[in-house]
Amino acid sequence: MEAAEIRITAEPIDNQRCKFVVSVPVLTGGVRRFTGADEAKGSPLAEAIFAIPGLAVSELIVSGNIITVVKQSPTPPWQAVGKPIGAAIRAALASDVPPVATSPKPPGAVNDDALYEQVAKVFDEQVNPMVARHGGRVELIDVQDAVVMLRMGGGCQGCGMADVTLRQGIEGMLAQLVPAVRGIVDITDHTSGANPYFQAAKK
Amino acid sequence: MLPTTTYRTAAFVEAARQIGIELTVASEEPSALQATSLGGLITLPLNDPQRSATEAFLFAQRYPLAAVVGVDDDTAIVAAVIAQRLGLKGNPVHAMQAARDKHQQRELLAKAGVPIPRFMLRGLNEETSEIARTVTYPCVVKPLRLSASRGVMRADNVQGFMKAQNRLRSIVREPGASFLVEEFIPGYEVALEGLVVNRRLHVLAIFDKPDPLDGPFFEETIYVTPSQVPAALQKAIVDCADRAVRALGITEGPIHAELRYNERGPWLIELAARPIGGRCSAVLRFGDKGVTLEEIILRHALGMPIPSLQRERQAAGVMMIPIPGAGTLQEVRGVAEAKAVPLIEDVQITAHPGERLVPFPEGSRYPGFVFARGETPEVVEAALRDAHRRLEFVIV
Repeated sequence: MEAAEIRITAEPIDNQRCKFVVSVPVLTGGVRRFTGADEAKGSPLAEAIFAIPGLAVSELIVSGNIITVVKQSPTPPWQAVGKPIGAAIRAALASDVPPVATSPKPPGAVNDDALYEQVAKVFDEQVNPMVARHGGRVELIDVQDAVVMLRMGGGCQGCGMADVTLRQGIEGMLAQLVPAVRGIVDITDHTSGANPYFQAAKK
Repeated sequence: MLPTTTYRTAAFVEAARQIGIELTVASEEPSALQATSLGGLITLPLNDPQRSATEAFLFAQRYPLAAVVGVDDDTAIVAAVIAQRLGLKGNPVHAMQAARDKHQQRELLAKAGVPIPRFMLRGLNEETSEIARTVTYPCVVKPLRLSASRGVMRADNVQGFMKAQNRLRSIVREPGASFLVEEFIPGYEVALEGLVVNRRLHVLAIFDKPDPLDGPFFEETIYVTPSQVPAALQKAIVDCADRAVRALGITEGPIHAELRYNERGPWLIELAARPIGGRCSAVLRFGDKGVTLEEIILRHALGMPIPSLQRERQAAGVMMIPIPGAGTLQEVRGVAEAKAVPLIEDVQITAHPGERLVPFPEGSRYPGFVFARGETPEVVEAALRDAHRRLEFVIV
């Protein structure tokens, strides 16, 4: 793939988190989460983003065609660092080497597969039957290092109360039922939700 | 208290996480997961503050509450009633009601000598031609309780007034409702964002509104801070807002005021006991760490230390994207191009495909927001306009 043909759209979530939506797949068949430059070794895309001077990345999540970058602080602003991040993504995708290596499983690491099964059961048996009443669904994408990656769909995608469902509902349920889960990352593109259940209506 | 229609949910939920506090979200509709949340979610009849207070009181027996925060005009009243019932820090209920009701607000402001446009209260079912004859033109017709300039119209003569009143009837749809007829104040408009702490107003930001708001409708567009209004005039604007806060009896929490100034000085146009609306608060950052407005509001409500009330050094601005026309939104083109404009931090399209767009004065829902940050207000404003030019709304 020629770097020039790749289109990348930055979608800041807040001052510290930004999604980069790439026009081509970056990682198929799973999710990778990196929490430091050491973990990034062997994945050129992650290595390049962690190495951007002054960016201070604390977390990087790659799933499908979405790369979520989390900074340690609100500064520098996304506008200032968007271009070097875009350049790093393009360079990694233009290379012959896979931009993101498959997940290594160090001995003694958290058993993500077991957690996946437990979380999937909670989603299937409890979360989804309830959010289905609002026309929504929550898809478990992966569990990595005990962090759950999920995507919201249907009425949840773009819903004004999606954050409440996630933080006050799903996070609390997992804390009770699967306490080994360390966190949740929502990789939903909420801006493209076409039928949100609750829609913001005021100025 | 996060109504399901607010834009501010994500910002407040995230602020609570940043501070590390336990949050209970109150909405007027039940969350899909409410049954499973242990004190994290509650449904309250937000249109009935007294019932809300009773239910919140019962809830607080099981899950003690330390503070109650409203995020908009209506929930500010509910929060005050609940705080009073639970003995928590909050505003007097009468102050929140006065801030919510445009007529009550003007009566208190006039009594206190705060400079405001001359006004009169009339009924929507009154004979239009009779009112029209008593009005001094140009005037502004305003509903008492709608927000975001919805239903606000300028009339320059009798015919214009009659048309405006008829139009307002169809917007308000309450035959017995009252409305305001107000003197039109020519001049430059600014918005003041503040935090009242123990009756003292702290100014968080003054926004310039570079696009003239002369009517016939009053759709907001660009807000840029810091203000380029001369310092002496800024002081007069702050004094005017401060007098208004005291006149209404607001003692704690965020305020958002709209003021105009002309050769006769500043004029208070509106004051709301809530933070800035929409997603506009994303443009504000405070202190070295870039603390958000929502974090400041939550910290203040809880009596926690506030790192800084000093806005960052850089200029910042937001554009509430003007409603491009009436119809059903099919798609928005040019978002990536708009985001690529230098100094643009974000372009958020909040309208979704298939949504019906309704222009002012009947509508009031902006289809999105553009955010920019830069060295000066001029370059920020230019970036916002440049980004907006690249957006194309396809409406059918």
